[in-house]
Amino acid sequence: MPAIVVNQISKNFGSLKAVNDVSFDVEPGEIFGLLGPNGAGKTTIIRIILDIFKPDTGSVSILNGSMTEEKKNHIGYLPEERGLYQDIPLDRCLVYLATLKGMEEKVAQQKVESFLKRFDLADARKKKVKELSKGMQQKAQLITTLIHEPSLVIIDEPFSALDPVNTQMVKDLLRDERNKGTAVVMCTHQMHQVEELADRIVLINNGKAMLYGKLQDIQSQYKSQSVVVRPVTSLPAQINGVDEIVKQNHHYLLHLSHGATSQQVLKSLMDSGTDLEQFEIAIPSLDEIFIQVVKEVQPA
Amino acid sequence: MRKFWLVCWHEFKRHVLRKRFIFAILSMPLFVGVIGLVSFLSVWLQYDSTPIGYVDQFEILKTSQQLVKEPNELMGPVKILKYADESSAKTALENHEIQAYNVLSEDYLDTGEVTMVSEGKTGINIGDDFNDFLTLNLLNGKDPGAISRLSEGSNLIIRSLDGKRELNIENWSFILLPIIAGLLFVIAVNVSGGYLLQAVVEEKENRTMELLVTSVSPGELMAGKIVGNLAVGLFELLIWTVFTVIALNILPNFIPMGDPPDIPISYILLIIATFLPGFVMIAAAMGAIGATATEMKEAQQVAGFFTIPIVIPYWFITAIMFNPNGSIAVGMSLFPLTAPLALPMRAVFTTIPIWQLIVSISLLVLLAVFAVWLAGRVFRLGMLRYGKRIRLKEAFSKLPGGRA
Repeated sequence: MPAIVVNQISKNFGSLKAVNDVSFDVEPGEIFGLLGPNGAGKTTIIRIILDIFKPDTGSVSILNGSMTEEKKNHIGYLPEERGLYQDIPLDRCLVYLATLKGMEEKVAQQKVESFLKRFDLADARKKKVKELSKGMQQKAQLITTLIHEPSLVIIDEPFSALDPVNTQMVKDLLRDERNKGTAVVMCTHQMHQVEELADRIVLINNGKAMLYGKLQDIQSQYKSQSVVVRPVTSLPAQINGVDEIVKQNHHYLLHLSHGATSQQVLKSLMDSGTDLEQFEIAIPSLDEIFIQVVKEVQPA
Repeated sequence: MRKFWLVCWHEFKRHVLRKRFIFAILSMPLFVGVIGLVSFLSVWLQYDSTPIGYVDQFEILKTSQQLVKEPNELMGPVKILKYADESSAKTALENHEIQAYNVLSEDYLDTGEVTMVSEGKTGINIGDDFNDFLTLNLLNGKDPGAISRLSEGSNLIIRSLDGKRELNIENWSFILLPIIAGLLFVIAVNVSGGYLLQAVVEEKENRTMELLVTSVSPGELMAGKIVGNLAVGLFELLIWTVFTVIALNILPNFIPMGDPPDIPISYILLIIATFLPGFVMIAAAMGAIGATATEMKEAQQVAGFFTIPIVIPYWFITAIMFNPNGSIAVGMSLFPLTAPLALPMRAVFTTIPIWQLIVSISLLVLLAVFAVWLAGRVFRLGMLRYGKRIRLKEAFSKLPGGRA
């Protein structure tokens, strides 16, 4: 049973078509990427899913039906616009927000303690939220999202303000949630982060779903006829089966001739006596796929 | 319902545990105490207990009976010494045995002429003390009851034509009660309304709102905020009441204060019946303003439109006192924004017709309920709208996404 079913939703704000006939579903135990550039309509879709806005047309089923007050206790939400009470101690703020998710106060206090230790915030528990750094506030916000063990987690731009160490920690956390069977919706414009985590994605642009499906399938669909090589010394000027050689930072991108295969090119390089450190099929990044998709739909 | 109480308790704790709240709650009794102390000190510093003298060469006063100090009176009457002639009084003055002496003229009974001689500064009290001394001794031999009545004056009782309402001038604290209670109401309304305004605007500004509405229903959230902040205002009133009761129990040990006020229970019920819906009405309005405003400064400006009308009855206090059944007094006690102060004020001076009480309190309750309803609607409409105001027309039209 999908955790979320979004069925042909549309939403207008005045003359602006914020969401236009978008459909997708999210399964338990998967990380689902809701992607798109800034202003694409991602946050509006999330607000419709969370029943903050009603769609003009279409419907949403969340945790097997319409949104109810009880269901709010099973959803963890990290909004794009971060917000915690700035002038109260961190632990009090977290306990309050946890109790609003249906937890008993004593249980919430115990869980807050354990989460603060896990997130390396134990020493800051009595500090006012406004005294914490941006990264620490971001971690505190993540605690409010996960503390009540939700069965659905929706996180909007989860990696903003995080350093590489904390970014990795959040990635691990999200993988843990997936492994526990939680449905995770990750909404971001940082597509490279999604490539590492997401099982399936929907790519939104100007309120419309441009791509939807398994990440691997989409990448295969947009796979280019190129290989990436890094020679020990240099490449020959001419390589059989290669139309164009493009030098990039520390490697070369070889665009294959029509009908040529990567195996043929590798053999050709071996035959020419070129020693290689790296040889791999070039997989397009989501950024590249997005640019390609946008170009395809734009009128020439 | 559990979440309503959680929001309510959070709002209460959030303000009450703040240092600035504790300072604010203590500053009022402290301020009143300091004013009282300064007033007392200024009188005490001008008080001089050195005796005064008098010269009565024409034996106008048959006796020289001294004034008696009242129990608990800190600054009692000075001793008044008789001198045979002006030169002996002058010598006593030069020797600082007395601070001044009074000379009664031969025709004092006709003209009341008394000449006071002093070296300069005298105690603030000696004029009154000598007048009381003259009254006491001129009336000497008369009925003690008559002397006491003359010195204490009459006890004027004003009774309404139907005999249902009686105002005793000696019961002065009852007359002051609506003024003081109203003042506390205005302060508490402004404080709790201000906190509510601040809470909602802050949650919009720091973006906590979006997190909250995915945990609690907007209705529960708004109602919890209103009741929580109302409790802050009532808590403040309670603390001030406790301070007042303590002061009223301690002060009579030092200052004669007369009998304690005789306040009918029906009057206290009237105050509760007007203050409570008034409180809710203003609090809800503040919540709605907070939800529609884009920043605190703007919210405070708009909030003034609701808080200023509450104090209007103070501007017309004379009209209410002297003509409590006049059109101004009746109009203000029926208009919901002015009723919380005007109705209790009027009730001191007249018997308010039952129909007026019913209409006034019903209007207040209805408006309070309407304000809470409207606040919930506006809150839902404006909670996630940043940097854009909401027009009143929108509040009455459908909610975002077709919510009616």
